[in-house]
Amino acid sequence: MLRNNDRFKTRNGKKLILVVEDELINREMLKVILEEDYDILFAEDGLKAQEIIEENKEFLSVILLDLMIPGIDGKHLLTELKSDTSTANIPVIVMTADQKSEVECLDLGAVDFIPKPYPAKPVILARIRRTIELNEDRQIIKVTERDNLTGLYNRDFFLQYCQQHDKLHPEKAMDAMIIDINHFRMINERYGKAYGDEVLISVGEQLRQYINDKGGIVCRRNSDTFLAYCPHLDDYDAFINSISMKLGNDSENTVRLRMGVYPDVDKSVEIERRFDRAKLACDTIRNSFNRKTAVYDKQMYEKEMYEVQLIESFPKAIKEEQFVVYYQPKFNIQGERPVLASAEALVRWTHPELGMISPGDFIPLFETNGLILHLDRYVWTMVARQLRAWKDRYGFTIPVSVNVSRVDMFDPELLESFRQLLNEYELTTSEFLLEITESAYTQDSNQIITKVSELRDMGFKIEMDDFGTGYSSLNMISTLPIDALKIDMRFIKDAFKENKDTRIIEVIIDIADYLKVPVIAEGVETEQQLTSLKEMGCDIVQGYYFSKAIPADEFVKFIEEEIKLRNA
Amino acid sequence: MLSIERLEEYGADVKTGLERCMNSEDFYFRMISMFPNEDCFNRLEEAIGKNDLDAAFEAAHALKGVAGNLSLTPLYKDAEEITELLRSRTQMDYSELLEKIRNHRETIREMVED
Repeated sequence: MLRNNDRFKTRNGKKLILVVEDELINREMLKVILEEDYDILFAEDGLKAQEIIEENKEFLSVILLDLMIPGIDGKHLLTELKSDTSTANIPVIVMTADQKSEVECLDLGAVDFIPKPYPAKPVILARIRRTIELNEDRQIIKVTERDNLTGLYNRDFFLQYCQQHDKLHPEKAMDAMIIDINHFRMINERYGKAYGDEVLISVGEQLRQYINDKGGIVCRRNSDTFLAYCPHLDDYDAFINSISMKLGNDSENTVRLRMGVYPDVDKSVEIERRFDRAKLACDTIRNSFNRKTAVYDKQMYEKEMYEVQLIESFPKAIKEEQFVVYYQPKFNIQGERPVLASAEALVRWTHPELGMISPGDFIPLFETNGLILHLDRYVWTMVARQLRAWKDRYGFTIPVSVNVSRVDMFDPELLESFRQLLNEYELTTSEFLLEITESAYTQDSNQIITKVSELRDMGFKIEMDDFGTGYSSLNMISTLPIDALKIDMRFIKDAFKENKDTRIIEVIIDIADYLKVPVIAEGVETEQQLTSLKEMGCDIVQGYYFSKAIPADEFVKFIEEEIKLRNA
Repeated sequence: MLSIERLEEYGADVKTGLERCMNSEDFYFRMISMFPNEDCFNRLEEAIGKNDLDAAFEAAHALKGVAGNLSLTPLYKDAEEITELLRSRTQMDYSELLEKIRNHRETIREMVED
């Protein structure tokens, strides 16, 4: 707990006390008792007290109030102080001779009392000091439990209140909601931060009114994200529409909200997880113009559970080598006969309970939670081990390309990891190709370009994966440090539909020519595609036409065949 | 001249009174010497004369408070008695009690001024 007294205002370095007391002798006595430690103001009647309080309310640390005063009665004054928000925070100690009034005054909001006749000085001082300290601590709590901008609860206190609420109403059906402002960053950028703040304040206020009315509470979690915990609502669109209306959105429609709801929460789920679920739902409509609300449903639940299962079984899967590396050959097609050029390493997961899991299920998941770092390193090691084995067995190997994920690029140990791996298995960078997806370049281009350049300086050849899907600007492409372009298989598929249209592929091949790098086409399945690509000038081809990805022990047939042909 | 002896003779709880004044005799005596001139005596008399029991209660209550703080026990006791009667707005003849309080005031004044 903070106990920084400086944060509270003082005059002349002493805390300010108001003594409301009509009898001169009593005032004199209190003055002698207090004046060493406090700065004191005196009021001999209620009206004077009101005046002084109005003038000094920001500075008053405590008020000592005699109940029997001329003008406005002490109890009346106390009630008035406590009902005015600007003075309600000033603690009041009542001075009274009769015990009957004590309880009544505590009920009215007095924090303590000092009896009459007065107790000895140390007792009075101790009570005043304690009252001030307690009140200051309470103020600190109040300051930190509120979000400064909107006055709503902040996240931590909100979550505490939710828990408190559940304890008191365990049977009540509750909804966990998350509300975001669409493109808030754009609002800030277009109209300035002051306007953005206004938007946040009014959204917060509208949410608060609506949700409070339903018996729920609201907080601002961060930036433009609000959380609400509310007795179960039937119509979320009506809720959001009502808020949008109140925000005064006209046709220009500057403030658009989106909301994710985890309805009728399972109270055995941790409170924060409930809002994670609401967020999961909310994320599904992130870029939708039409849908304003999304509800966490059974499907999302199952997906979530499935993902949790995958994440939980990951460490064991690595340890037990459940991940297996498959190899798909890439052939150079520009010569008379296709020549085995290299292979791409592709990971497969044979889960003891779930069976074969598609990389499409676990790679994106591991990319978001960082596990991909471990998986990539595992694959690199497996590939290095395999390359070593082939070299030992045939005295020769074809290069194998491995995936390097975007997050790997932020690993300061990346270069060292590769160096160690190559050393350990006595391999060279010519046998180990790296594939980096195009979208990685477009997201953090400077960082990635620097890292890729360093890898190339080490001797690595870099293939840009999924080319055509990452929205590279033509300007950026011309400066990219790469050694090959891989055309995404979707382009191949689209180009060879009923109405064959290969113009996009031709453009990509032109770009590769301009960059003076070879083009690799993925997903090539038919002879027709192969012939066509060859005519267009595509250099290397990968796909079912030659082979799907296969385990290493099957793949050796390609190596052996290649050796045979070379020796022939 | 006020003195501890005279106050004790009168029946004041001097020890407690002094304590309340941080054992400053000077200050304690100064407060006591102000007392006979305090308005609450007159207010009490006037209010009872007009049969304004509300005002009388306020004045008696104030009187009691100050007497208590100064530990003038005999006055305090009588002030307490009249305060309680007035708190319940008892309609009665207060002249005897008033007389007592008047005498206390005189006694204190004598102690101070002699």
